[in-house]
Amino acid sequence: MRPIAVLFLAALLIVPVARASESHPTQAELEGGVMCPVCGTTLDQSDSPAAQQIKRVIARRIAAGDTKSEIENRLVAEYGDAILAAPRHEGFGLLAWWLPLGGIIAAAAIVAVGVWRWSHSREREPDATELDPALEHRLDEELARWD
Amino acid sequence: MPRAARLTAQTVAVALVAGLLALLIWRVARDNNKGVSQALAAGSHPTAPNFDLPRLDASGRFDLASVRGKKPIVLDFWASWCQPCIHESKRLESARKRYGGRVMFVGVDTKDFSSDARSWQRQHGIKYPSVHDGSGTVLTEWGGLPIPKIFFIDRSGRVVGELEAEEDLPRYLRQIASS
Repeated sequence: MRPIAVLFLAALLIVPVARASESHPTQAELEGGVMCPVCGTTLDQSDSPAAQQIKRVIARRIAAGDTKSEIENRLVAEYGDAILAAPRHEGFGLLAWWLPLGGIIAAAAIVAVGVWRWSHSREREPDATELDPALEHRLDEELARWD
Repeated sequence: MPRAARLTAQTVAVALVAGLLALLIWRVARDNNKGVSQALAAGSHPTAPNFDLPRLDASGRFDLASVRGKKPIVLDFWASWCQPCIHESKRLESARKRYGGRVMFVGVDTKDFSSDARSWQRQHGIKYPSVHDGSGTVLTEWGGLPIPKIFFIDRSGRVVGELEAEEDLPRYLRQIASS
């Protein structure tokens, strides 16, 4: 019961933070999530003229009161989807989020089925092979000799 | 699992891995070898790759195929954040005043903010038309960064050269204007 309560409380804390981030994004979080188009790093790791230009645009849009989505949409409209450091949680971008998770679940299921089959095949193995009647008769005779 | 089903599953898995490997090799080869700049450096003169992009300084789109092979073209890849682009675009603007009737000048604003790019054009008095290549896809096809990158296309649609030194501009302009 206690872990569920902890998870519930954590969710209560996270939701307002996420909403605040959407409606009042910070320069730092956007710079960490947007790529510099000429250097292959995020904006916060680049000081190139192209990165500086986008940083200025972000600062202007934040000052104008744009939401995080509005600023990201504006950047995507100018530079294409590759300007975002992580794919979006919508449309084709969902594949990038869910495909690896699906792969991990599928791999785990394959391993689980393999282990289950392997362990059951071992259980079904007979303890001893049945002897040929003639051989069994001969064995009884041999044992009787020793008695 | 029946033998046939196991074989099918194994074949599918191997085909999937082979497909992904082929995709990776194709992508790496494409990134390393393609591009007009690289072709010119290797001594060939390819036909100018086509593009169809939105106009920066007007509404509508510009399709290179509509003029390629009909008129000589100077293609200028630039951006408002690119400091050396100012000098080269101003030189092209001067050249346009002299060759404008015989040669078409087209700018490709790349990896740039279109509003900043329009301000930049006004500020530096650049009058030749430009298109907007925000994602840089067209730039990649022509050889990628760095910019400025200036190409000369003759009347038949072949790329005859890329500007590498100051004196290349009048030389290539004369060459394509008389093609």
